[in-house]
Amino acid sequence: MWSLYWRLVGARIRSQMQYKVSFVLELLGFAVTTGLEFAVVVILFRRFPSVQGWSVVEVGVLYGLSSIAFSLAEMFGRGFDAPFETMMQRGAFDTVLLRPLDSFFQVFASELQLRRLGRTLQGGLVLAYSFAQLSIQWTAAKLLLLPVTIISGTVIFGALLVMGATLCFWTIKTPEVINALTFGGQELTSYPLSIYNRSIRNVFLFVIPLAFVNYPAVLLLLERSDPFGLPAGAAWASPLVAAIFLGIARSFWQLGVSKYASTGS
Amino acid sequence: MRLYYEIALRSFRRAMTYRTAYIAGLLTNAFFAALRCAVLIAVYQSSGVDSRVAGFTLQDALSYTWITQSLISIGAGWVAFDIMLTIRSGDVVTDLMRPWSFWGYWLSRFWGERLFNLLIRGALTYVLGILYFSAHIPTLGQAAGFACAISLALLVSFGYTLLVNLTAFWLIDNTGVVIIANILLSFFSGFLLPISFFPPVLAALARALPFQAITGLPAQVFLGHVAGPELVQTLALQVWWAVILNGLGLLVLQLALRKVVVQGG
Repeated sequence: MWSLYWRLVGARIRSQMQYKVSFVLELLGFAVTTGLEFAVVVILFRRFPSVQGWSVVEVGVLYGLSSIAFSLAEMFGRGFDAPFETMMQRGAFDTVLLRPLDSFFQVFASELQLRRLGRTLQGGLVLAYSFAQLSIQWTAAKLLLLPVTIISGTVIFGALLVMGATLCFWTIKTPEVINALTFGGQELTSYPLSIYNRSIRNVFLFVIPLAFVNYPAVLLLLERSDPFGLPAGAAWASPLVAAIFLGIARSFWQLGVSKYASTGS
Repeated sequence: MRLYYEIALRSFRRAMTYRTAYIAGLLTNAFFAALRCAVLIAVYQSSGVDSRVAGFTLQDALSYTWITQSLISIGAGWVAFDIMLTIRSGDVVTDLMRPWSFWGYWLSRFWGERLFNLLIRGALTYVLGILYFSAHIPTLGQAAGFACAISLALLVSFGYTLLVNLTAFWLIDNTGVVIIANILLSFFSGFLLPISFFPPVLAALARALPFQAITGLPAQVFLGHVAGPELVQTLALQVWWAVILNGLGLLVLQLALRKVVVQGG
């Protein structure tokens, strides 16, 4: 399965590398566009001393982790976006169902957008700068927590992309609402979860577990405590949460496929 | 004149047809507004809720967030790309051959759609802001000023959209231009953050550029931050940018028609 994945995706990568200048420009374009998000945070912090006692570099750690996870999810998961939507509108999903391979795998392997690494780069820079400004007592556990958090975050954002795509089986067009959860989720997780009111907090901890993208992990890294009593140890639950959420997305996808009625033409 | 009125009317009706699309869009805008408000409430709390920052009280900042989010669908943050799609497909030829003004045709279509978005989608979004965040309810005078400012903003926005779209005559794939155009618009128009929050150099730059005439200025008129002789000055500035951008747009259109070979067949 994996060798097939790399063959399919390898073809996508080679085609993207055909126009090197254009590729580099797109990469930089993404880095700058998304950099603007953090510029807004910095400008806000020039006017206000802190957000509930979080300084700008502490918010930078939150932002960096979330931005990296989101960019990786977009890189791997955008097959569930535009290519899939076009497939649905043209009735081309029929072909996918005819092939002797899982439909989820085929759509997943249909795209890998390297240019999204522009955001990864930007998020990485923000994260590196923030770490350099903070004096964190690094331990083996904390170092391990970084990749664990990033991978879990990627999976959580990725599962959201899958759910958005699945709605296509009913609506044909990917509804705009899913942007509220993906881009909105990125914006939401750029600030400490504790600034949101109770209902928003509960939704993003227990229903759509976007909070696990970074918040508990950053509590643990910065040795902060949550004013509402969320234990920092919850950071280690994020892989489990991500796995469950992806499982739900996967089942939802299967349900969508079973309801699929071709647009035909 | 009758012709352009009919075009605008049809465009208005078309926008009205996609009911689920605008309700979904409206909820997305409201969700983003609510997130930004949570951030603003948190930062204002850290420096005393009653404080005034860059001339904005907390309540002003919340109202500003809601009005700018409500204006998204009339082009506060991104440019529309209907015209460039016709240039890419070659359909633009048919539109150019018709016995009407190309500029007038697109302006009428643009007005019809935007008017719908303003009166229904935008207004409903703002009502949510009034209900949940007690956003500012304008006085009759402020509303009248806003009506003038927003009409001019639509003209400025149309001129800018036209210019960006026309680059497709030369570039065919002008994705890069659109990305840059959107960055400039969303940042320097005051859509992401009020311009008065910017550091002095950036604020001066933003005030020298046309983008604030699209979002920032109408929003300030709406909140009553600009009134009396200042209001006249603001409107005059908007007229100035409307004339410049549309003049440039018409000029570029002439150049394009003289030089360019149209795609398609």
